Amino acid sequence: MSSPEPDAERDAEPRAAAASADRLRPGRMANVAKKVSWSGRDRDEEDEPPAAGETTPLLNGAGPGAAGGPPHSRPITHSPFLRLGQLSSVDLDDDVRELETEATNQFPSEIPHNEKLLSLKYESLDYDNCENQLFLEEERRINHTAFRTVEIKRWVICAMIGILTGLVACFIDIVVEKLAGLKFRVVKDNIDKFTEKGGLSFSLLLWAILNSSVVMVGSVIVAFIEPVAAGSGIPQIKCYLNGVKVPHVVRLKTLLIKVCGVILSVVGGLAVGKEGPMIHSGAVIAAGISQGRSTSLKRDFKIFEYFRRDTEKRDFVSAGAAAGVSAAFGAPVGGVLFSLEEGASFWNQFLTWRIFFASMISTFTLNSILSFYHGNPWDLSSPGLINFGRFDSEKLGYTFQEIPIFIVMGVVGGILGAIFNALNYWLTMFRIRYIHRPCLQVIEAMLVAAVTAAVGFVMIYCSSDCQPFQGDSVAYPLQLFCADGEYNSMATAFFNTPEKSVVSLFHNPPGSYNPMTLGMFTLMYFFLACWTYGLTVSAGVFIPSLLIGAAWGRLFGISLAYLTSGAIWADPGKYALMGAAAQLGGIVRMTLSLTVIMMEATGNVTYGFPIMLALMTAKIVGDYFVEGLYDMHIQLQSVPFLHWEAPVTSHSLTAREVMSAPVTCLRRIEKVGTVVDILSDTSSNHNGFPVVESSPDPTQVAGLRGLILRSQLIVLLKHKVFVERANLTLVQRRLKLKDFRDAYPRFPPIQSIHVSQDERECMMDLTEFMNPSPYTVPQEASLTRVFKLFRALGLRHLVVVDNHNEVVGLVTRKDLARYRLGKEGLEELSLAQT
Amino acid sequence: MGLAARLVLLPGLLLGLSAGQGLGSGRHPPPQSSPEGWALGGGRRLLSLELLEEAEDLSLALLGTGLPGELPPECRELLVGFANSSVRLTGCLVRSARPVRLCQSCYRHFQSVTEQLENITRAVGNSSESNCAKSLLMSDRVQLVVILSQFFNSTWETANCANCLKNNSEGLSNSTVEFLHLFNTTLTCFEDNFQGQSINLVPSNHTEVCRNCSQTYRNLNALYNKMQKMTGQGSDSEHRTHLCIDVEDAMNITRRLWSRTFNCSVPCSDTVPVIAVSSFILFLPVIFYLSSFLHSKQKKRILILPKRIQSNASLVNIQEKYS
Repeated sequence: MSSPEPDAERDAEPRAAAASADRLRPGRMANVAKKVSWSGRDRDEEDEPPAAGETTPLLNGAGPGAAGGPPHSRPITHSPFLRLGQLSSVDLDDDVRELETEATNQFPSEIPHNEKLLSLKYESLDYDNCENQLFLEEERRINHTAFRTVEIKRWVICAMIGILTGLVACFIDIVVEKLAGLKFRVVKDNIDKFTEKGGLSFSLLLWAILNSSVVMVGSVIVAFIEPVAAGSGIPQIKCYLNGVKVPHVVRLKTLLIKVCGVILSVVGGLAVGKEGPMIHSGAVIAAGISQGRSTSLKRDFKIFEYFRRDTEKRDFVSAGAAAGVSAAFGAPVGGVLFSLEEGASFWNQFLTWRIFFASMISTFTLNSILSFYHGNPWDLSSPGLINFGRFDSEKLGYTFQEIPIFIVMGVVGGILGAIFNALNYWLTMFRIRYIHRPCLQVIEAMLVAAVTAAVGFVMIYCSSDCQPFQGDSVAYPLQLFCADGEYNSMATAFFNTPEKSVVSLFHNPPGSYNPMTLGMFTLMYFFLACWTYGLTVSAGVFIPSLLIGAAWGRLFGISLAYLTSGAIWADPGKYALMGAAAQLGGIVRMTLSLTVIMMEATGNVTYGFPIMLALMTAKIVGDYFVEGLYDMHIQLQSVPFLHWEAPVTSHSLTAREVMSAPVTCLRRIEKVGTVVDILSDTSSNHNGFPVVESSPDPTQVAGLRGLILRSQLIVLLKHKVFVERANLTLVQRRLKLKDFRDAYPRFPPIQSIHVSQDERECMMDLTEFMNPSPYTVPQEASLTRVFKLFRALGLRHLVVVDNHNEVVGLVTRKDLARYRLGKEGLEELSLAQT
Repeated sequence: MGLAARLVLLPGLLLGLSAGQGLGSGRHPPPQSSPEGWALGGGRRLLSLELLEEAEDLSLALLGTGLPGELPPECRELLVGFANSSVRLTGCLVRSARPVRLCQSCYRHFQSVTEQLENITRAVGNSSESNCAKSLLMSDRVQLVVILSQFFNSTWETANCANCLKNNSEGLSNSTVEFLHLFNTTLTCFEDNFQGQSINLVPSNHTEVCRNCSQTYRNLNALYNKMQKMTGQGSDSEHRTHLCIDVEDAMNITRRLWSRTFNCSVPCSDTVPVIAVSSFILFLPVIFYLSSFLHSKQKKRILILPKRIQSNASLVNIQEKYS
């Protein structure tokens, strides 16, 4: 709980004594760190002693420094130290603060991982365009036709994103089909052989070993080469679209690992799907193509240079994610809506139209290639990786009376989804805390694969549900103990790829499964899927959820038919679909996009209404207990994710309380040595620095002039854009915006830039490189207001200024994401190194 | 209904008869032909059907050329030909419905129906004035000839008969013949060994059948599997082609006899090793999780204290919880 009540200040008063003691500390600390100079106390604070006194014991160390307020206000009287330069020595304060913290040791610096943390690993993306002089120059240089070419290029890129995403989807689909077919045939032959002779335990071992060895490969590449490729990738893409820079998330290497990993984990028989990872793959493809180069391969095709910044890249990534959804489910509109639902804070109509274009291209590519592959060109019958098959509305229509039943199914889906998420939460927490070594992760994945095979085998072995062959619905029929000419019905569910199992649950004629089979299958698969999600393999949760839902939905339909003594409308396939929708909604809690995705995947608009009802109910019921699976994983990863709105009870918090202070500022004309020192300081890895007026007179007000980013400074240092050099070598090329783009997105670390001792004495003029008009807020702005500005504009840094335009503090993503509405009101998360 | 219609139209009986032929050809526009159709239907019910058919066939030659809009005689002939062959095919199909002998007994009839239909369609190009195809296949709403031929075709396709026949549909393919032969042998074997035992006996007592016919049955099964593999080769697993229904049904019957009636296929069930192996596998994760819980070092996070002007009580609370 924060202190939204006005009484908070009075509550803090008893600590005033402690606070006054704090005031004596700066001197001592400064002695520890010789070079420290204290910036002045804020006037405001001196005016309000209680406020200053509110400093809690926790921040004793930081308190005085933090209270420093505008770094360039007058030096305070009780600081006898000389100021070294005009630079605010915030970073040095940091050193001191840490020393202090260790000395006092009131709080543990190490805690076990928990969900109430924000990781320092994640940074923000710069969606705000830096309108510096270089930018204006370039804009002046590029004429109208050039901008039109840019627009055309955008469309070309979107088409390419669509095509490539479709191709990747085809590749995954075909390879999975081939490999899984091979595996199932080998195991089936083996089982058939041993059924006659005896020794089925060998078949079980064969199956388990095949599964776990395939999964081992899939897990090794993920765990050792690119851990960010684990899981479905949807949380990561959600974060990216939200504005969080997740390291490595859109690299080519990630794509390769993701594609191979998903093939291997599906072939390895885990309870996973290949649909979720398609979204990630699409996003990586989009990010790659739009940049016209690959930093991993060190190839630059010298195209699309205009798009080399976060704003443009993010637009394409949302198109890629949409194309991925569209290829996965054959749902182009669903894909667009997915991007809308996940990244909607930065949105416009033209972008929507382009994204839709990419989605359509993607599903069309997949469809035409797969139809060629299946030997009936232009049949266009497989628009997505999973096809739910035809639901013809005459046979499977629904009546008004059934709508309450669908709502009840939604409730069931919500409850089951909540249980799923809660179990997965504990499991994931355990994994983060204890199973963090890559080799342990690989072993875990292998064990899960072996257990999945064992459970499947035992279920098939124990099942006595035999069905005669009808039609061609069974891909790999296992006879086992059934009479000749019959197959084991449990085997259609377990001894198959999950996609096929879903479709057979939807479409197999009534009576293909007996209720006992379905019940056992639901139970087992529920736990298997829950156990599997979060392993270090790349795999999605869509299909397992659909499968669980379809199984209990079908069971529901069968019992309904039994209760109504075989009424014609109680078709189990229809209820399987509704159950699948409800279960998926209960687990992932997406609403709009999921409804449309399901609708498009069934190809039946009439089902839109019941699906929507089921999803809505599932979400409402599920949200009552725990949050959605993706949000949960984002939170467990300690990502500073900004939700739609600030927490509702946060109006009483002001920017002053939220912001980080004091701020490391740079002067407009700054000494190179100072810049290098600031950038090299590992204890405060800041990325944005407000630029203030460089007046030699320290008593004068140093107003905010602009904002400059670490990346820009690094480029400047690399090209040695120093005032002295400019005077010396007139021929030197002027720095252009292109130089900044070329370095994007992997700017070299400061350590790799060599600055000689002489150069350290040079000066840098930041005027033409800084963003001259950064967004600012007054200290009194409420958290809600700050949040809205931040979220809507996709900011990275928001400067807090006082009445004299002096920098008071800086609001970043982590400052805002800290506040969260928890079970007992407003919670505050702590920052942690992960 | 039929009776009433007949009474109304009694004066125009001759017209009705001649128009009845028109109905068959489907040349008249629907509003005219329907009441006359009832009249004819009523007549049919009273008269002997066969006789009437004969009479119609005869009358076509006599009356067919009357009006300029009438069906030309050559078309009439084609139609009759189609009618005859389809009657034969229908009869054959129904007669061989159970046990299924569709393909082996009806393929000739099917072929002749196909030929007849081809004759009708081919007539399009031949003579423009007597466009039989147009008048027989496309001139009314019902298009009976088309419906019938579609029905035959779809039946044939559903039964997958093409898989049992030679490529030019001249006769049964070699493998089918071989299969049917083996099937008959198996059945004979069953019968021979089954003699003297009654079905009322306990099913597990048919050991004699099982012992004696096991080889034949195995051969049959093997051949069936081989044939299945051969047909399935061309296409992928999703759209598996079936063998023709005759073969499938024969196999099903045999299998049912073998495993249900005679109860001959008793698979070895080795429950103990399966349970042992699976419980071993299920036990592994328990060990894994326990050992990693006990031995793995718990991952700790280093807290970074934020730089704030004021701190909130909540932060303290949160951290106190973990201290």
